[in-house]
Amino acid sequence: MEVQLVRRPAASCCHHALLLSSTSSLSTPSTASSQLRPLIANGLRGTRQKSTASRTKRALNIAPHPSFLASPADASNPATASGSHIIFNPPSSAPSVYHTPFKFLPKSDPRRRANLTASLFASSTTIKFNRDGAAAAAIAEKLPLVRPEAPKTYHLTEADVAEMRRLRAADPLTNSVSALATRFNCPKLFVVMCCHSNAKHQEEMAARKEAIKGRWGPRKTAAREDRQRRKQMLLDGLL
Amino acid sequence: MKRLRLDRCAGQLLVARPRTCSSPATHVGSGLRSARPSQQFAHSTRSQSTAVAFSEPLEARQLPESHPQTLWDPRELPSPSPERALRSAKLAALHARLSLPERIPLQTLARTLVDASADENPQFNNTNLAFVGQTIMNYHVAEWIMCRYPRLPMTVVWEAMKGYAGNEVLLQVAKSWGVESAAAPGGEVDPGLLQFNLTDNTQGVALLGFGYRRVEAKNSEKYQWRRGIANRVVFDDDFGNSVKVTPGTEAEAEDRPITEEDPSYLRYGNEDTREIAERAHAYFVRAVVGAVYAHCGRDTAKAFVKAHILSRTLDFSRLFRFKNPTVELATLCAREDFEAPVARLLSETGRLSRTPVFVVGIYSGKDKLGEAAGPSLDAARWKAAMNALKAWYLYSPGENVRVPSNVLENNAKPWSPAYIDMGEIISR
Repeated sequence: MEVQLVRRPAASCCHHALLLSSTSSLSTPSTASSQLRPLIANGLRGTRQKSTASRTKRALNIAPHPSFLASPADASNPATASGSHIIFNPPSSAPSVYHTPFKFLPKSDPRRRANLTASLFASSTTIKFNRDGAAAAAIAEKLPLVRPEAPKTYHLTEADVAEMRRLRAADPLTNSVSALATRFNCPKLFVVMCCHSNAKHQEEMAARKEAIKGRWGPRKTAAREDRQRRKQMLLDGLL
Repeated sequence: MKRLRLDRCAGQLLVARPRTCSSPATHVGSGLRSARPSQQFAHSTRSQSTAVAFSEPLEARQLPESHPQTLWDPRELPSPSPERALRSAKLAALHARLSLPERIPLQTLARTLVDASADENPQFNNTNLAFVGQTIMNYHVAEWIMCRYPRLPMTVVWEAMKGYAGNEVLLQVAKSWGVESAAAPGGEVDPGLLQFNLTDNTQGVALLGFGYRRVEAKNSEKYQWRRGIANRVVFDDDFGNSVKVTPGTEAEAEDRPITEEDPSYLRYGNEDTREIAERAHAYFVRAVVGAVYAHCGRDTAKAFVKAHILSRTLDFSRLFRFKNPTVELATLCAREDFEAPVARLLSETGRLSRTPVFVVGIYSGKDKLGEAAGPSLDAARWKAAMNALKAWYLYSPGENVRVPSNVLENNAKPWSPAYIDMGEIISR
């Protein structure tokens, strides 16, 4: 799995502090090399193990990101000339659902025309127009899929489905859903969509499931209930 | 609450006849209740305005000789008599607080405060005004929702209607207006208090709702029959609720933790009293809208609704519930000829830790439709699909979108058709 690095002020700031600490400790010749090695190694690995509390405290005391510091007064810029200015450094947040994506804008919407010009000049080398959008689109293709799915084949014929139904009706225990899915090389959902087992088998399966659930302890039962409740809350927009 | 200068909106009307109907109504107040003439307004025939014009000055009207003036003991009346409205400080304060135009007499404002459960006589309770008011209010809210968010599913439209003009919300509006309710209705209470009967809900003509009463309502309530969306659109009220036949269903009564025998049941309030109070407050607010419409006309009523109802904030993105967001999104993409949606991992942290975070984006071709973070790949994927669907449903042509009633204004531009979506993605 490919891991993407999140570029955020805090991340770069930690990185910056890390380099600073390693270079400063390297530049002091009096420090024993035995003390040096674990410091650098720890820093690079990202663990916070230090021998003493004061060293831990010192290591964690990192300088703030430059954007949080007051920049040197610039005489040409009236905003910073007096030294008083506003730091605007918002945390990363999810995009608002009120911003309609370009694809969702109807044909008649004037915003669509405005965005079309941006996408027209996206590949142009001379006109720098909304380059970020074009770059984002190029990156989108390379991002890993959350659920890689095989392309749909549609290889089963009507006869195959009839055969599947016959097998399932004949012996639902041997020809289980997963067995049929393997045999016909299709997803389990398709098998479930095609054929239903008889009522007796369904009852048996339900009883078996209840027996399995009965063997669970209180923790497992509660964890399962919580999971279901959490999913419902997510779908209700409460999480 | 927004303060609205209604006198400016209807300035041309007020200049003509300022405070026409407040003083003479004192004469009307002291007759026999059953035979008292209701206020009769001759409607004008001006094409571009619904303002009321009087055919004859009200001062000329007198009580018929056949009904001699009798002094009534106020305690015998179900609600305070209209002439007491002029002496109520609460009523005058409410009139001033809402910046109502002087054209609306205090007697009418007093009548909006009398619920049908307090006074059964429709000439003295607010039922008529509330009916007019709710049609006007619901019309303006509905047309605004339809033009502002044209792609909303019907269930969400109903929830939004409830969020703007439902009973629960109008209770808050009434409270924010500083309206207090009387402990019990009667002729002796201050006319500036909202009067409704908390205890007597089953008898009398206490209103349960306006709308079509289904033939099968009793069985439908008892067995909780399923009502489809199209069915609800046709038969039910503006909020998608069927008009109730009985105040509380039997199923609800069984679920109640406290019984009626419990003395605390009525003393401290319960679900029933809450519902009655909500309904009474809501009908009061609707009746005020109806009164503004009746006395000041269409434009002022619209301005009043805009200032007090539509100016409230409602987060539409929280009204949604999904069952299968990924399937719904795939159906949408297939319907609109987009590439099939694909979930891609944008970033992740702590995959093997106790609290991992995955950021997943849903792409259709090269376009990102939605994005969300979640504690597992599946949760993030579902959430991203939900966000993509919300982004579709919450498309808006603009903040200051024109609504059809805008063309009724003076010198209005001709109407250009609003954007209408082709319909729901999945059946619910």
